Formats: sequence, structure tokens, C-alpha cells
Amino acid sequence: MAAVVSLQNVVKSYTRGRQRVEVLHALNLEVQSGEFLGLMGPSGSGKTTLLNLIGGLDKPDEGQITVAGERLDKLSGSQMAAWRARHVGFVFQFYNLLPVLSAERNVEVPLLLTKLSRAQRKTNVAAALALVGLSDRASHKPTELSGGQQQRVAIARALIADPTLLVCDEPTGDLDRESAEEILQLLTILNQKQGKTIIMVTHDPRAAAYATRLLHMDKGTLARDETRTAA
Amino acid sequence: MKYLPLVWAALRRKPARTLLTCFSIVTAFFLFGTLQGINVGIAKIMQLTSVSHLMVMSRVNQGAPLPLAHAAQIRSVPGVTAVAPFNVLVGTYQRPNNPVVIIGTDLDAMLKISADLMVAPDQAAAMRRTRNGIIVGVTTAKQYGWKIGDRVPVRGITAKTDGTTDWAFDIVGTYTLQQPDWATRIFANYDFINEAITTGKNQASIFYVGINDPAKSAAISQMIDDRFANSPDQTSTANEKDYLETTLRQIGDINYLVNGVVGAVLFTLLFLTSNTISQSVRERTAELAVLKTLGFTDAAVQWLVLAEALALAMVSAALGVALASRVLPWMTSGPTLSAQGIGAMHVPGLVYGAAAVAALLLALISGVPPAVRARRLNIVTALSGR
Repeated sequence: MAAVVSLQNVVKSYTRGRQRVEVLHALNLEVQSGEFLGLMGPSGSGKTTLLNLIGGLDKPDEGQITVAGERLDKLSGSQMAAWRARHVGFVFQFYNLLPVLSAERNVEVPLLLTKLSRAQRKTNVAAALALVGLSDRASHKPTELSGGQQQRVAIARALIADPTLLVCDEPTGDLDRESAEEILQLLTILNQKQGKTIIMVTHDPRAAAYATRLLHMDKGTLARDETRTAA
Repeated sequence: MKYLPLVWAALRRKPARTLLTCFSIVTAFFLFGTLQGINVGIAKIMQLTSVSHLMVMSRVNQGAPLPLAHAAQIRSVPGVTAVAPFNVLVGTYQRPNNPVVIIGTDLDAMLKISADLMVAPDQAAAMRRTRNGIIVGVTTAKQYGWKIGDRVPVRGITAKTDGTTDWAFDIVGTYTLQQPDWATRIFANYDFINEAITTGKNQASIFYVGINDPAKSAAISQMIDDRFANSPDQTSTANEKDYLETTLRQIGDINYLVNGVVGAVLFTLLFLTSNTISQSVRERTAELAVLKTLGFTDAAVQWLVLAEALALAMVSAALGVALASRVLPWMTSGPTLSAQGIGAMHVPGLVYGAAAVAALLLALISGVPPAVRARRLNIVTALSGR
């Protein structure tokens, strides 16, 4: 398998007040295509910072990041935006759907950046909603959906542009146990049947059990790397 | 075009706030259209009024009547070519809330005084033959659907000599002007009205006077006023243009007032719209960050916010000016202005252009600061709620 994500000596720090805090210390990591990677660790260990760097939301202070064949640390802001649209699907803890748009309109948003016709966009949206089992909720607004359904809409939005990588930040953190199971099973199907590479930050060991590889982070470094059989 | 749902969604996020802001902009541009329409209308009146017609009124009070006997003396002033007395009959047509103003005058004198007034010769002859005949301005005839031969019943507000207040006029002709929509007056025979009224007999509220040399209008006006200097009914004479200018000056500098009011309204509106867009962007910080996450560039997000401001300002301004274009003609087509020979005012084409520019500026000034903030929004900071 080819490495879809490669980090070499990545350093990232933030300024808090007058203090400079180094969050990631010379981090090295490779994620192979088709992996379902779980990132665990205590708060402040650098999980979300690492996820932001891999997802092209932020840039490292030092080191190289190559994702889907592109050196992210070399891209400009607009190049990075175009790269994200093409290669990454994001799933957030609080869904981050646009509240005044219906489920189908929310899913359609990433396609507005493509050259697809309206009819093609509609077809793709219908397929994505069918994949997450929400065809009958297409015209519903986020407030008319349960947390689990909103997260499934968010997953459909993340998948709509057929990205190389799915980046999930605590995707089940705001869901009840049953909905969380449904979302994790959906991610597993996407990983196993569609070969999507998934990187998921989680605090929940039950969620982490679905990952095929688990990275434990501590104080900005990789403390443990375990490859395992998914639940 | 495909981004329209996103712009529309942003405006629908807080419908009450958007509607209230929209209503404020509609009101401001309604005022803008109406006041500028009036301003241009007044300028047009000034342009169309002539210095070759004099108006003789009471020096004591413009509304006070003058004796008809003044007509002969005015006619004897050197330079005067014709004198037409005006005796105004106020009544209602068909409904109590439908007022009409009929001017009793000498049509032949009017035709001599005002070269602009065009009446077919056979219709002028019919007016001479028909005591209760009226000549109606084409705009008024069109407004009421009147045609030659129609009888127009009018209920007066004062009693006639026969004890009733009912008048019946026969339309014997129509008149038009170079500016046809200003042909709004109704002319009747002075004698017919004068014989039937019980108050104001043998009097005129105004004498309309023709002169042979417009350059001498001031001198002739002075001579007319001098002629009645020691009379109990002193006169105040001015050419039409000076008369209007004096009247308007009593109200104030219309142009200054209009521009002042419109400027103040638009300036206030700037803060209101600016606040609405800024607040909307602040509330959507996370949503805008999500758009960037999905691949929207900084510039695209900036344009989306600016498009919101543009949509709000342009659509509301268009509604406001459209409303003004419907309301202004209605506001200015009342009997009082019609009797003055002033046609309905319209929002001129130039004002539509000026409104579009004003709305564009409003959108840019109020939309650019929040749009720039949206452009500079850092995804990580915005999503972490910091």
C-alpha cells in the first residue's frame, strides 16, 4: 500500500498570550491508503492540531507534510483551499451543517465548487444521501433531524466530492450510544467497501475499537502505534 | 448564479432582522425616489412656466377675490394683449371623495394669452355657443374616461341661486399642451358660473394676463399694481415664473431640503445596514469557517458576504424606487395641482440610475468591512471558537 499521508519532522506551535507553546514536536507519521486510523490521547496532546495539518487547515512551522501526493507546506492559501475541495472530506463533532439549508442543499455545497451541472449535482447528492440512508430526509433542515441524522448528512457532505481522505474530529462525541454505533458502522463500511482512508480523532475507546490502526499521542509526540483488527 | 442559494440562505438566517433592514432600505429609497421626483418635477414646472403671462392677485391675500371690474382697467394698461378672469368652482364628481376644480374663464382670452393652449377651432366655437360647456384637458379627460358630448354632473360646495348645489356641464372639447400630461384643467364659461353662484359674484380669484413683450413683464406688472394702488382691492402682479419662484421660496430651498433629507436618511441607513451585515457575519463565524474547510477560498467567502450586502441593498432599493414610481404620480395628480395646470410628477429615469449607484455604494460601504473580516477568518481559530 502507498502512503497517502506522510509527515516528516513536523513542528507546530501556537502563541497563547505572550507564550509560545509547541504542540507537535518533530513528528513523523505515515498513513497508508485504505487505513482507518484512530488518534487518541489526552486533551492538549496535539490530536486536533495533527488532524488540522493533515486536512490542510493549518500549516506546520517546520517539517514536510505530503498528503495525496501534494506538499501541503508549500501550497498558498487558495491552492490549499482547492486541494481541500479535491482531496479531503471533513466530519466535525458538532456536524457544522448550515442551519438554513436543507439536508440535500448542505450536501450539495462542496459540489458548487465543481463544474458539474445542476442536474449532475442533484444526482450525486441523491446518491450520497442514499449511501448514508437519508434519502427520505433530503428536504429536511438540520433542526428537523436527530444528532445521528445530522452527522450522517455531514458524512454525505464529506463524501460528495469523492475525496481521497476522510478526516473526522470526534464524530461521535455529541451522539448517544446507538447513534454513535450507526455512525461508526457507516465509517467502517466506507473504509472497507469503498476503500476510503479515514483518520479519526476520538476520546472514546469504543469508537477507537473500529479503527484498524490506533495512534496514542502524548505531549505532542506519538506515544504508541498499534495495528489491530477492527471491531 | 449557483451560489445564490448560499446568499439567500444567509439572508434567511434571521428573517425578522433581514425584513426590518429591507423595510428600512425600502422606506429610504421610497423617500429618495419621491423627493427627487418632486425636485425634478418642480424644476420642470419652472422650465415650463412663462414670463409672458402675468398673474394678477390680491395684494392682501393670494386667495382673496378681486372685482371683475379690474379686468377692463388691466386691459387698458399698455402692453397688455388680453385678460382672462378665473373664478374657481370647487365641487365633487360622482363621489363625495372625488373633488374636481372647474375654472370659469374667458376661453377666447385664454387662447390669445397662451399660445401653448391648443383647442380645435370648432370646439372653441362650440364653447362660445354652449353656456354650460367645458373644455377639458386631455389628461383629465383620459383619467375620468370623458369624451366630447358627455355630461358631467358636479356637486358644488356652495349654494347656487336656484337653491341647489348641483351643476351640469357638457363637454364640448378638449385641450392639449406641448406637455400633454400637464393638460389637467377644466375650463368653463365665466358667465355661466358667475350667474349661478350666490357668493363671489362678479369677482375673480386671479386675472390671467397676456403681454406683448415678455422682456417688459416687470414694468407691466408694476403698471398694473400702480393702477390699483389707491383702490380697496390692491393687486400683486407677477409673471408666472416669478410667482412660482416666490411661492417656492416661501417653503424653502427645495433642492437643499430634498438633498438634506435624502442624505440624512441614507447616512443613517449606512449604519443600520452595516450593523446588520456585521452582526450576521459575527454570528456565522463557524459556518464561514466550514465553507473554507470545504474548499471555498478566502476570496470566495469574501464575495459571498459582499453579495449578501449587495442583494439586500439592491433588491430593497429597487422595491423602494418602484414604490415611489407608483405612488408619486398618484400623490401629485390631485385636483389642487390639476387646477394649477400641473400634471402628475414622475420619478425620472435619472433617479433610477442615481438610486442604483446609491444602493451600490450603500452595499459596498456596509459590506466591505465584514467581507474583509470573513476573508481573513482563520479556519482553525474560528472552528475552535477562540
